[in-house]
Amino acid sequence: MMKKILQLIILFLLGACMEKDEVFEASFYECESNDISNNPQYPLANSIDSLAKNFTSRGVPGIMISVRNVEGQYTKSTGKSDLASDIDLKPCNITRVGSTVKTFTAVTILMLQEDGLLNLDEPISKYLSKRVLNGIENAKEATIRQLLNHSSGVHNYIQDNSFQTASLNDLIKEWQPEELLEYSRGRDAYFDIGTDVRYSNTNYILLGLIIEEVTGLPFYHVFEEKIFHPMNLSFTSFAATDPVPDGIIRGYVDLYSNLNLINSTYYSGWDYFSADGGLISNTSDLSLFMEKLFQGEVLSEASLMEMMNWIAPNEQDGNGFETYYGLGIFRIMTDFGPAYLHSGDAIGYFASMVYFPNQKTAISWASNGNYGKLDEIIQSKKTMEGIFKAILK
Amino acid sequence: MRTIRFSLLCFILFLTQNVLAQQPVTLSIFNESTAIPYDRLFSTPIHPGVQIGTEFNWKESRHFRLYPSISVGYMFHRKLFQGLYANLELGFDYKTSFGLNLKSKIGLGYLRTFSTQQEFQFEDGEYKSRSDKGNSRLMPSFTTGLGYRLNQKENNSSEIYILYQSWLEYPYSPGFIPLMAHTNLHLGLRFYPFEKNEQ
Repeated sequence: MMKKILQLIILFLLGACMEKDEVFEASFYECESNDISNNPQYPLANSIDSLAKNFTSRGVPGIMISVRNVEGQYTKSTGKSDLASDIDLKPCNITRVGSTVKTFTAVTILMLQEDGLLNLDEPISKYLSKRVLNGIENAKEATIRQLLNHSSGVHNYIQDNSFQTASLNDLIKEWQPEELLEYSRGRDAYFDIGTDVRYSNTNYILLGLIIEEVTGLPFYHVFEEKIFHPMNLSFTSFAATDPVPDGIIRGYVDLYSNLNLINSTYYSGWDYFSADGGLISNTSDLSLFMEKLFQGEVLSEASLMEMMNWIAPNEQDGNGFETYYGLGIFRIMTDFGPAYLHSGDAIGYFASMVYFPNQKTAISWASNGNYGKLDEIIQSKKTMEGIFKAILK
Repeated sequence: MRTIRFSLLCFILFLTQNVLAQQPVTLSIFNESTAIPYDRLFSTPIHPGVQIGTEFNWKESRHFRLYPSISVGYMFHRKLFQGLYANLELGFDYKTSFGLNLKSKIGLGYLRTFSTQQEFQFEDGEYKSRSDKGNSRLMPSFTTGLGYRLNQKENNSSEIYILYQSWLEYPYSPGFIPLMAHTNLHLGLRFYPFEKNEQ
């Protein structure tokens, strides 16, 4: 009897400290677009529908997939935008697309070079103060180009154990770029400048600060002026202006690798204000962006060629695709030929955007769940090969 | 049945009067954080915890004391987890003549963590809200700190202490994050509530 009472008291106390998810009406997630329709006449509609259902049948809470090619465009969504409210995901819903922003940052930098406001081959110390660069090894000597193609060797703050534990310690903290840079100060560079390539978010924080320095505007306002509005990316925004906008789908993490998810919609504060993450969009906009970019409608031919000047790392990752580094974009070698790609994680969200130049096809997919077992399902090489095969076969 | 209850009561009274009379109680409040040990002493936001335990005498000389201790506790890490634990430690104190103790402990504990948020489990092809049954963890720990004996001449003196406990949560997320580092900064008191009046 006493044992049962004790168990009940413990369960009550533990339950009292548990937060229940907010429950929303379906209208909270309403969105409209004439351009995004699940046109069943689209030749690949059945393949894309099966692909999407395969993701949710394996534990992805919600997924959207968009394809654009010469035959038109098609977006399929399946699963839930909100598990607590039990609301179906719509093709036009907005989600976090994390590091895919790096391609937008690179395009903006290239546009600013076209405007004569900066030069890719000048050292970043010409644009940023000693105070910003102090203690970040290689940063003073690195050029803008070396930040863009990750050949600067600058340490990646996001892989720093102190940062990772600090971000878990305060999951709803909104980090400023200066605070994030502190985790790369005093850390060794990965290699001498220009001798190899290695992905580093710190490079893109610095690029965001350069955009602000040469324009006098917050970098995300420059994104709006130069990319979002002219390209009519009506679902795309940057988190700094509204970190958790109404209607953004709920994000979920499989923190303990057991498909037991918790809501992480408010956990991505480390990328709200820096140009290495923080993009909010959907797959329809991402595919549109990739198509226009690589079909030459965004940058001058010379800038696009610079963007696609590929560098091979000294050692390829044996588990992934053969990968080459461009300016804010990667080229991977697939069974269907080369593809230009960037992916992005936020806490509880994943997105990837790919363009196949030979097939003139843009493919994007995004999920509102990641980490743990979900990462294997949504972003492994095997998963990507399955997507490419279903769409490009 | 009455006989058993009476015997149990007598046993507890005997324990309180004799064995427990020599036993100190350690009581501390602490701030838990996910952190690399010794990266920083104190972090915010505060994730509160409370711990109660006792210590056993093993070996003691004028300047040294070696003692096992047991404790149970609870901690609440907002947005991440809440945990109940039981911990077994071996402590080593260096006692100065002016009342200050330099303290260290190694320990191994069992931790049961529970989510602080609603959970959704994937079952039969869909996610369902479910009640949390918790996750089992091991928590090896290493602790250093300072104590101050309030009555310097007595071995059984009350002591106030501050302890910096570094501990690992294992397993954490198999195949993703194998283990997680934590620190607890304790502010505590050791006292003898059951001590017999010798007068």
